[in-house]
Amino acid sequence: MSDEIRRLSDELARDPSSLVFIQLGEELRRTGQLDLALRVALRGLERHPHDADAHDLLARIHVDRNELTAAFDEWDTVLKLAPGHVGARKGVGYVLFKQGRLAEAERYLSQASAQDGGDPSIATALHMVRRMLHFADGAEIPQASADGNGTAPLAEAGRRVEEEARRLFAEILGEGEQTALLLDASGLVTAGLYITEDGRDVGQEVGASLAGIRDEAARAAEHLGLGAWSSVTFETDVATVAMAPVLDDSLVLVAAARSVPLGLVRRVLQQCGRRASVWLGATV
Amino acid sequence: MSTTQFTGLISTLTRQRGVLGCLVVSERDGIIVDADVQAGVDAAAVAALAAALYRRSRLCSEAAGLSTVSFLQLESERGHICAAGRDDLVAVVIAETGAPVAQLRTVILQSVDSLV
Repeated sequence: MSDEIRRLSDELARDPSSLVFIQLGEELRRTGQLDLALRVALRGLERHPHDADAHDLLARIHVDRNELTAAFDEWDTVLKLAPGHVGARKGVGYVLFKQGRLAEAERYLSQASAQDGGDPSIATALHMVRRMLHFADGAEIPQASADGNGTAPLAEAGRRVEEEARRLFAEILGEGEQTALLLDASGLVTAGLYITEDGRDVGQEVGASLAGIRDEAARAAEHLGLGAWSSVTFETDVATVAMAPVLDDSLVLVAAARSVPLGLVRRVLQQCGRRASVWLGATV
Repeated sequence: MSTTQFTGLISTLTRQRGVLGCLVVSERDGIIVDADVQAGVDAAAVAALAAALYRRSRLCSEAAGLSTVSFLQLESERGHICAAGRDDLVAVVIAETGAPVAQLRTVILQSVDSLV
């Protein structure tokens, strides 16, 4: 038992009517103790049946237990208690997405995004849903089972979105000794590939190493009164790597062999940046 | 002003057109080793931020198997930050928009050998 869970358990034992059960349940959920988390949430809801955050907690526990219908019902309750609850809108959008109800999912995720544009997970989910709707050509994909197992058309649309993301910069990069990645605010790969000479895709590792660089570059430029930053380029013995901000929270990165002139790397970076902006901003 | 083993390097770099200041910093902790910056520049903050950027680039380079970082440039609306390192030390140059960055890059890379 972690110190935090022990501390929260003690606090709840001292005052069983406290709302600290929400923190405790969340901590248990986060550490994978789902049965215990469920018991804590249900017991807490007996005392606080009208607390929206408690129902939100229960919904997230249901999602982790792959009980999507129960999760949906809980978030539906949250939205009745607190119609502007951004977590519930995001959650309902997620369940609808898993059920193949893309148009409805898009509506909920759009609302969540409008409320909390700074949450990269909402932005990524919304983008994914919109691209899947694009490939589904607006047609509703048959509803998946209550367990959330995807239907074949849903899986096919997902596969096409993944393929589109993987090849987003292929046309710009051509057959040259260059590679490009689009990263979200957390450093996760949104599009593109980073293939090493020996054929490994190290996109996630590169992304993880760059998580936060956007903020650091912005802080450095701001501190010196240099205005908004437009690019960071670094050179190594074997490659040139250039990166630039895209929209509000993404980063595009281009890596090229040292034989590629620096000016050309920058032009490719600009082209990839424009392509990424259009793609991220794409709607149905 | 006292002279250090980095005075020559800093003097060479600050003489370049458009340069607003030059610092030698420790990449590991962002501490200033030596510096010559114009009044109003918060040298300690610049050192910390530039070292963090350089360190992150090095980590990225390691993750991608790209060997050692030799030069870094941040470009912004009203100027540049250029940096080159050797071992734990990084020479950081702050330059205004009109500075000849290509020439500056050459001079920094030539000077970096004295970072020992």
